[in-house]
Amino acid sequence: MTEGHSPAATEPVRERLPRGDLVGAGVATDFAAPLAASLDDELTGYLRLEPGDALLGGGGSEAVITLADGVPVLTYDAGGDADGPAALAALAGTTPVRVERYRLPTEALAPLHDAVADGSDPFRVAPDAPARELADDDELADRSRRAAPPERRDATGDHDALAAFLADEERVESVRREARAEARARADEWGLTDQLDGD
Amino acid sequence: MVEAFAVASGKGGTGKTTTTLALGMALAQRYDVTVVDADTGMANLLFHAGLADAPVTLQDLLAPDARGPDGAAVDVADATYERHGMRVVPCGTSLAAFERSDPSRLREVVAELAADADVLLLDSPATLASKSAVLPIVLADRVVVVTQPTIPALSDALKVQEYAASYGTGVAGVLFNKVRGDLGSVGDQAERYFEGPTLGSIPDSDAARAARDAGEPLLAHAPDSDAAAAYRAAAAGIDPKPKAAGDVADRFRSAVVPERP
Ligand SMILES: Nc1ncnc2c1ncn2[C@@H]1O[C@H](COP(=O)(O)OP(=O)(O)O)[C@@H](O)[C@H]1O
Ligand SMILES: [Mg+2]
Repeated sequence: MTEGHSPAATEPVRERLPRGDLVGAGVATDFAAPLAASLDDELTGYLRLEPGDALLGGGGSEAVITLADGVPVLTYDAGGDADGPAALAALAGTTPVRVERYRLPTEALAPLHDAVADGSDPFRVAPDAPARELADDDELADRSRRAAPPERRDATGDHDALAAFLADEERVESVRREARAEARARADEWGLTDQLDGD
Repeated sequence: MVEAFAVASGKGGTGKTTTTLALGMALAQRYDVTVVDADTGMANLLFHAGLADAPVTLQDLLAPDARGPDGAAVDVADATYERHGMRVVPCGTSLAAFERSDPSRLREVVAELAADADVLLLDSPATLASKSAVLPIVLADRVVVVTQPTIPALSDALKVQEYAASYGTGVAGVLFNKVRGDLGSVGDQAERYFEGPTLGSIPDSDAARAARDAGEPLLAHAPDSDAAAAYRAAAAGIDPKPKAAGDVADRFRSAVVPERP
C-alpha cells in the first residue's frame, strides 16, 4: 500500500494482500486455538498457516485466512492451487500447523474485503466455515457467525468446502484406507480378529 | 425376523439419539421397532424419550448380577418401555453402575430383544476408540451413518463405514443432520464413497432442540416440523431385510465378548 494507491484490482487477490505487522507465531496442534484467539482479540489482518506436512518437508503449501475484527473473510492457498472453500478443504486435517498472526489497518484490507471488491468472490468463505471445517468446533462457529456483520451472517448455508473435499477422490480414498488399517490394527489389539470379515 | 441397525457417527453431537428415536417412530408405522440406548458410557436416550425416571434400565441388565436398584433380579422386559408406538430400552447414567457393568451382556440383551422385533435400532457411542464402543457396530447387520455437512464429520462418517465393513457390517445409508441451507451436490458426491445411499438431509432445526428440552422424540413433539418430515422421508429409504427367525439369537450370541469397557 505504498504511494497511496491500491495495487491493480486485476492482480489476483493473493498478490494484493499487503504485508502486515507480525503479532504472534507458534505451532498449533489444532485450528481452534488460533481461530479463537483471533476472534477474542478481534484481530484485523490475516493468519498465515503452514501445515504440518510442510513443516516436515512434505512440501504442502501454506495458506492465508484474512480476518475482519477476528472474523474470517477470504482464504487461499499460497501455491495458487485452491481458493476460498477449496483452500479450506486442502487445509483440513493438516495439523500440527505453524501459525503466524499479522495485523493490518482495516483500510488496507478494504480493497479486498469490501463486498464490491473486484476479484474477491472466489476467495470468500462463510464467517463460520474455518471453525466448522478446520477446527470442528460448533461453539466457535456460532461465535464467529454472531460476530460477523449482519450482511455476512446469512452466508452460512453453503457446503462448498465439503464439496471440494469430496471432489478430491485421492484424498477421500486415503482417509478410507487409513481407517481400514486402523480398524484392523484395533481389532487385533482388542482380540476381535475372529469377528473380522473374510480375507 | 429382525434387522439390527447401529445408528453411529464416530463423533459426538451429530444427532444420533435424535435420529434413533425419529427413525424408530417413522419405521414403527410399518414395523415392530425396538430402540436401545447402546451408548452405555454416555447414555442420554432416556432424556430424549421422557424416561429419565425409568426405574429399571439397560444398566441394571448389564450389571454382573442383573439386579435392579432395589436388589431384585430384573429381566429384559423390566427395562423395556412402550413409548410412541415402539419399545424403548433406555440406559441409566450412574457412573458407579457403568463401572460395574459388563458390556458383553449387551450381546445377550440384543439377542433377546431381537426375538420380537422387525427392526432393532442401537443408538451407538460417539467414539470408535474402545472395544465396548464398537460392539454395537459389530453386532448390527447394517449401520445408519449420521453425519453433519462438514469435512471433519464426514471424515468420521467414512471411518465408521470402514470399521463396520471390517466386521462384515454394511451401510444402510448416510443421513446429513443439522444442515443449514441446501445440501447441494454433497449428497450425491457422498454416494460415490458410501456403500449405502444418502438417506436425506435434516435441517438444523429449533424444533429438534425444543424436543430434546421437552424430553420428547422430535416426531412426537413437532410432527409437522420440516425436520420431522425429513426424517420420515429418510426412513422411507431404509428397507429392513428380514432375516430367518431361527438364527437371530445365534447371530448375536456368537458375536464378541468384550471384557472391561
Ligand atoms: N436437526 C437438528 N437441528 C438442531 N439441533 C439438533 C438437530 N438434531 C439434534 N440436535 C440437537 O443437538 C444436540 C445433540 O443431539 P443428540 O441427538 O443428543 O446427538 P448425539 O446422540 O449424536 O450426541 C441435542 O441438543 C439435539 O437436540
Ligand atoms: Mg446420544
